Amino acid sequence: MIFSYGAGLPSLWRSSLYFILLALTFVSLTGCAGQLTKAADYYHSDHPQQALVVLNEGDHTGKRNELLYNFEKGIVLHNLGLYQKSTNQLLKAIKLIDRNEVISINEQVSSLVTTEWLTTYHGEYSERLWAHSYLMMNYLLLGKYDDALVEANQALKRLASHPNALKKDYFTRALIALCFANLDEDNDAYIVYKKLAEDLQSPTPVAADLINSARRLGMTDEVNKYRQYLPPHLPSGEAELVLFIANGQIPKKLPGNVVLPKSIRFSFPYYDNNKTSRPGIKILSSKVYSLPLLSTDLGDVARDCLAARKVKIIAKETLRAASKEAIAQAVGNNSDAAAEALVRVALFLLEEPDTRSWLTLPGRLTLVRIPLPAGEHNLQIELSGDNLKRHKVIELPGIKLRRGQRVFRSLKL
Amino acid sequence: MKLSWWIKFLFTSFLILMASGCSVTTREIGSDEKVIYDEGYHFSDKKAIVADMVDSLLTRPPLFQSVDRPVLIVYGIANRTSEHISTSAITDDIRQLMLQSGRVRFVNKVQRSNIESEASYQYGGNVAAETRIQRARQVGAKYMLTGTLRSMEKEQPKQFRLKKKTLMYYSLNMELTDIQTGLIEWVDSTEIIREASKPFIGW
Repeated sequence: MIFSYGAGLPSLWRSSLYFILLALTFVSLTGCAGQLTKAADYYHSDHPQQALVVLNEGDHTGKRNELLYNFEKGIVLHNLGLYQKSTNQLLKAIKLIDRNEVISINEQVSSLVTTEWLTTYHGEYSERLWAHSYLMMNYLLLGKYDDALVEANQALKRLASHPNALKKDYFTRALIALCFANLDEDNDAYIVYKKLAEDLQSPTPVAADLINSARRLGMTDEVNKYRQYLPPHLPSGEAELVLFIANGQIPKKLPGNVVLPKSIRFSFPYYDNNKTSRPGIKILSSKVYSLPLLSTDLGDVARDCLAARKVKIIAKETLRAASKEAIAQAVGNNSDAAAEALVRVALFLLEEPDTRSWLTLPGRLTLVRIPLPAGEHNLQIELSGDNLKRHKVIELPGIKLRRGQRVFRSLKL
Repeated sequence: MKLSWWIKFLFTSFLILMASGCSVTTREIGSDEKVIYDEGYHFSDKKAIVADMVDSLLTRPPLFQSVDRPVLIVYGIANRTSEHISTSAITDDIRQLMLQSGRVRFVNKVQRSNIESEASYQYGGNVAAETRIQRARQVGAKYMLTGTLRSMEKEQPKQFRLKKKTLMYYSLNMELTDIQTGLIEWVDSTEIIREASKPFIGW
């Protein structure tokens, strides 16, 4: 068959070309996200500076991926110890999340006959919460405790909007409680600890905090209720060193497909089932012990959040499949089988699941609290984890603590 | 279904999107003008809060009765809202209006370390003795001004609707404490309640 361009080109062939062009556009769209993947690869192979260089090379990510760009840069800057810059980046992300709450008709209609990649990335429920988690950590590390509490309040709102999907994020919930407790907001801290105690397998990890806040609020019945859950040999001190430990890598979103006869393709994203185990933590200094750890497998929470969005994904996929089938049939009904076949191929190729996600997130976040006497301390902590071939000893010199003070440090394995 | 209809629809959608992003406008806004975009905290709220608090401080005891221009120190307003609000901007404005009233004086807490370093410099050997400040002549504060800004937010429950309504409540509580006795000598609060609605759907 010979094609010729110009006025003689049948309209249906022009339409086929239109959809093929769209398919090519899609290929270029996925290429934009490639820049972020490259930065994440550098980051996870312990080259955060190179990851930052890639991210600073320019805005290759486009408006649709602006949120992801801010997410990724926020974590890279956090890891480099540039907490204020990381905060600025993540605050931009939060603004985008709020702005993206308005559903764009334009994008939705376009994506209905093309691909989900054409839409602005809104962030999974879990990612929106973790932006606040990192902001809380940044503010605590910067000593801006009032601002950390503001983020704690915002994180509580995110938790309240999807309570079941986010329930297993024990790290963030404990961090929220810590932000309240740090400013003697005992009532708020108590409520968060109480809910945590109900959702954890055993209230033991939060029993001591629950008892402390309940005692200050005069709730003697609660004090008596949780006393039985106190772990034996609970360490105590005049001050506290708090460590935020990140290890592993969050599972990647993968493309899933169901193909029905006549080229109808349903596509959906899913997370693989990789788990990140808790890091082994051993304090080498004598007579120094940590409080019970609170930890979150980010993959678990991400999977729950994607599952909570499943109904919406299926509804949109069904609508898209119907729209595409209608287009293909409209071409076929106008008696050109080859054109229909071409349109079907183009639409089939366009049907690619949206696998965009926040790639620099760790697989697990753990909150480690070490009670210490007031004064100056030089600590050595031995850490072991999935991604460490051997044990890693981290030096924490010159930790100065006043009575009643908390000092914060962030570590990545 | 005609394929061309779909193409026209898509093309029109893109054109509308591009056109809506083209216009940029700016305008001057007077500092007294009340401009509110959403349910959040705005600069006009600060003006209202400050005016309320200064009026209450200067027209009620103990400052109302004072004739000796008592010395105050500002220990800041704790932000317990879910927004990053600069509460030092509120206390700065309160201090400015109260100083302008001529009824009180303030200790400069923020500049303490700079005052200390300047005093040390003057006694470091480079400054003529007759022009040096005298040490241990700083004035102690009689009262401490503190406060807490709180907020409560209530969102419309989830249901089928095109707009989301949010109710926002802000309250600023301030207190004046006599540093010698530890007694709270004055306390007042001011509130702002605001409702805003935001569309779920846009271009």
